Amino acid sequence: MGEITSLRDAIADLAFDGATVALEGFTHLIPVAAGQEIIRQGRRDLTLVRMTPDIVYDQMIGAGCARKLVFSWAGNPGVGSLHRFRDAVQNGWPVPLEIEEHSHAGMANRYVAGAAGLPFAVLRGYVGTDLVAQTPNIKPITCPFTGEVLTAVPALNPDVGIVHAQRADRAGNVQMWGITGVHKEVVLASKRSLVTVEEIVDHLDPRPGAVILPHWAITYVAEVPGGAHPSYAMGYSERDNDYYQAWDAISRDRDAFGDWLTSTVMREVRAILGDQA
Amino acid sequence: MSLAGVVGELRSGMTIGIGGWGSRRKPMALVRAILRSDLTDLTVVSYGGPDVGLLAAYGRVRRLVTGFVSLDSVPLEPHFRRARQEGTLELTEVDEGMLYWGLLAAANRLPFLPIRAGLGSDVLRVNPSLRTIRSPYEDGEELVAMPALRLDAALIHLNRADRYGNGQYLGPDPYFDDLFCQAATRRYLTCERLVDTKELLAGGPPQSLLVNRMMVDGVVETPRGAHFTSCVPDYDRDEAFQRAYAKAAGDEEAWSRFRAAYLEGDETEYQEAVIRASLT
Repeated sequence: MGEITSLRDAIADLAFDGATVALEGFTHLIPVAAGQEIIRQGRRDLTLVRMTPDIVYDQMIGAGCARKLVFSWAGNPGVGSLHRFRDAVQNGWPVPLEIEEHSHAGMANRYVAGAAGLPFAVLRGYVGTDLVAQTPNIKPITCPFTGEVLTAVPALNPDVGIVHAQRADRAGNVQMWGITGVHKEVVLASKRSLVTVEEIVDHLDPRPGAVILPHWAITYVAEVPGGAHPSYAMGYSERDNDYYQAWDAISRDRDAFGDWLTSTVMREVRAILGDQA
Repeated sequence: MSLAGVVGELRSGMTIGIGGWGSRRKPMALVRAILRSDLTDLTVVSYGGPDVGLLAAYGRVRRLVTGFVSLDSVPLEPHFRRARQEGTLELTEVDEGMLYWGLLAAANRLPFLPIRAGLGSDVLRVNPSLRTIRSPYEDGEELVAMPALRLDAALIHLNRADRYGNGQYLGPDPYFDDLFCQAATRRYLTCERLVDTKELLAGGPPQSLLVNRMMVDGVVETPRGAHFTSCVPDYDRDEAFQRAYAKAAGDEEAWSRFRAAYLEGDETEYQEAVIRASLT
């Protein structure tokens, strides 16, 4: 476990058509390169899970990878809507997209329950929202002691959980710091997992607030410097705000998006397959 | 704060959580301070050791919530054994994981949390007030509903702390001291040594900072305050003293001699008596 491999081999082994795949990272350490590798390998019918689907999921949805999205917020942070996501929901382009909408606390609790091996989580959320009427798997649950009616949400146990982190050692132990969101939870909750890292080092030095994922909790580790771009990796890179701004225009237009896809993500594939790709 | 100052904020009838584990890093100076007070009718929540034993021996415990009460090298705490045999305390005996989950529920301000621990055991039989809860999903699994263990006060002992309530453990195990604090309304931390905030990181890595000032209401410096339990690396368990304690517990006359020798004075006198005993 914690086997060090290439991004391409890891995705080829982990991601399959129809899989439930969660890429996590809250504005920070988003595994964008891994998402683009899934596009490159042409996966289809995925159930994509993510608390805050942003550009990387817009790209995957626009490329036709997803059948369903499980989420609690979607947008291009600080910029506006995700237009590929919108096009898929409103117009079924390039394929229809089913949505399952939750709250942030609900999603986080679902990962925690999944990581703990429990079938569901209990929280005091969703009260006074329309989500209960929209999302059938949000259920009331009554405390058998106090009679208080709380909310239950089902555990999330994705087939594949993917996050980006700062460092791993050669045994595949991963260290991350800064905003670590639900990184730990999604890896522990997923049946199999991949952590892309900025660098692989001989020794992990203790750091304030750092989270260690032991190698035995992870399936694969791949060294992908800059793999979170346009998000950032604290201590390694800055957030590329221009990219987020530029994405708005690209994603608004199907042709512009198609051009972007062939000229960036699929460039490598075209180089291999020639013009038919 | 002072030990007496902490005890002065506690009231009879309170539910008090005590950190540490068995006969390891117990806030014994605070326990001894409670013995000197007239606090009684307590509900104690603890991974129990001599904290529970002493409070039971002094008749201060109405109800105990625990996964075990042990002195580690002496498997069963002798005062606890006696209290159980004589029926002088009510016992809520749960699995260690359930105790953890009950504290977690309280820390999360939830009335209960579902857990698989406790199923298929006598825990449900001996705790008829416990309930199960069925998953509202297709699995329909039945789990134990662990009620929140809300604490009126938490007492913990750590190796180092600053005057603001940032606390550090330097031993191999945090136990659940942070969770005890998060589950409690009032939180009191005793420490081997009070240091400047900037000295904390010189003593151990960042992750050794177990509790922060938002989780603590009062700090007391109590050197050897965990005695006779261990407080690694400052000191190991005082096995000779623990043996003497356990031996005295079995006999009324020996126990009153032990009390007279160690427990009738204040904390300073206790520590001096321990030193005198170790020299003879």
